[in-house]
Amino acid sequence: MRSGKGRLSSDTSFWSALRCRLQSAREIYEGVYMAPYRSTIHREYLRQRDLFLILGFSDLLGVPNPVQFYTLELLPDLIDQFHSWHLRMGMEQPPEGGFRCC
Amino acid sequence: MSLDPFLLRPIVFFGGKGGVGKTTLAAAAALHSASGGARTLLVSTDPAHSTGDLFGTDLGPQPSSVAAGLWVAEIDPALEAQAYIDDVKDRVEQATPPRLVAEVERQLDVARVSPGAEEAALFERFARIMEESGRFERIVFDTAPTAQTLRLLSLPELMSAWISGLISRRRKVTTLGRMWRNVAGAAAAEGIEATDPILEALEERMERFNKARATLTDPERTAFTFVVVPERLPILETHRAMGTLARYGIPVGGLLVNQVLPDKPDGRFLRRRKEREAGYLAEIQYRFGDWPSAYVPLLDEDPRGVAGLRRLASLVRTDPAEESD
Repeated sequence: MRSGKGRLSSDTSFWSALRCRLQSAREIYEGVYMAPYRSTIHREYLRQRDLFLILGFSDLLGVPNPVQFYTLELLPDLIDQFHSWHLRMGMEQPPEGGFRCC
Repeated sequence: MSLDPFLLRPIVFFGGKGGVGKTTLAAAAALHSASGGARTLLVSTDPAHSTGDLFGTDLGPQPSSVAAGLWVAEIDPALEAQAYIDDVKDRVEQATPPRLVAEVERQLDVARVSPGAEEAALFERFARIMEESGRFERIVFDTAPTAQTLRLLSLPELMSAWISGLISRRRKVTTLGRMWRNVAGAAAAEGIEATDPILEALEERMERFNKARATLTDPERTAFTFVVVPERLPILETHRAMGTLARYGIPVGGLLVNQVLPDKPDGRFLRRRKEREAGYLAEIQYRFGDWPSAYVPLLDEDPRGVAGLRRLASLVRTDPAEESD
């Protein structure tokens, strides 16, 4: 009976140990592969988004934008991204000449 | 009637160097088109309201009837730019977070007076008129002097190249946004929509450019008529302009030679000018001989009103020399 109980507890500990190992394997996979992958994607996403912002509103940087007139209608959708851009770039206030978004 | 070869297409542009008589001849041609039974719209982009002066009425951007079958619209580029900005403002108010509305509007007001804004607004209007051309059987555009007009007509070509660049950039952004949402889960990627309003707006814009370009470059639908006077500079400018139009694939309809002196001018001064003119007329023949052309005499009074324009139209001839009748 003791042994039976022991076997049972050893069974439980076997499965929980396995689960534990799998969990840490997943965390290792997550940490070694997924997290850098995810952050790479996120960084690349933000970079492309910023690049688009520059292309669409280059006139704010003093670079003539031949289609400024047509990118105006994108303003409502892009102004929030401009806000998140200057925060990410470490500027609490938006740079001179741009949108005064805050 | 010698104006007929210039009225073969549903969309007719009249262009040329400043002061050669574009407005007058465009109006005469439009009137002639209307007399022939085609519902005709004459569109002027002259901010000085010359067309209104010619017909002796006040005209606005909405077509108003000036003769049987003839409507005239006078488009003011500055007003068009204002209207476009107001339209964007309306949409901004719906789509922008309230705290940002004032700022976006400030930015829009800056853009309204920026270079290129009026031109773009004017093109926008042209495109709309051409799209909604169903009401009229013919549209006659009386354009601004050559350089401005060529730039205006080359806009769709240049703009669509730039917009298509923006579109491919934007596609990259949306693709990466989707990837990011897949790996980070919907909660972390909050605010990244599956459909991108920016991409949609750009694609719609591109579509309109393509449509306008298709119309402008279709020889079945569009013809560009040059007005020239037998003098050196207008001839040279017109020659260059034809090259530019060919580059953008805009079909040329022909050449109207305006202000041709009478065959037997009175006075020594006019006789000397007439001798000069012969050389220029020969040069016009040489340079533009391949195109349909017609000649309009210089009158002893400037044409005014419907009657004056009809008289002018009746004097258009296919030969530079006066018809002996």
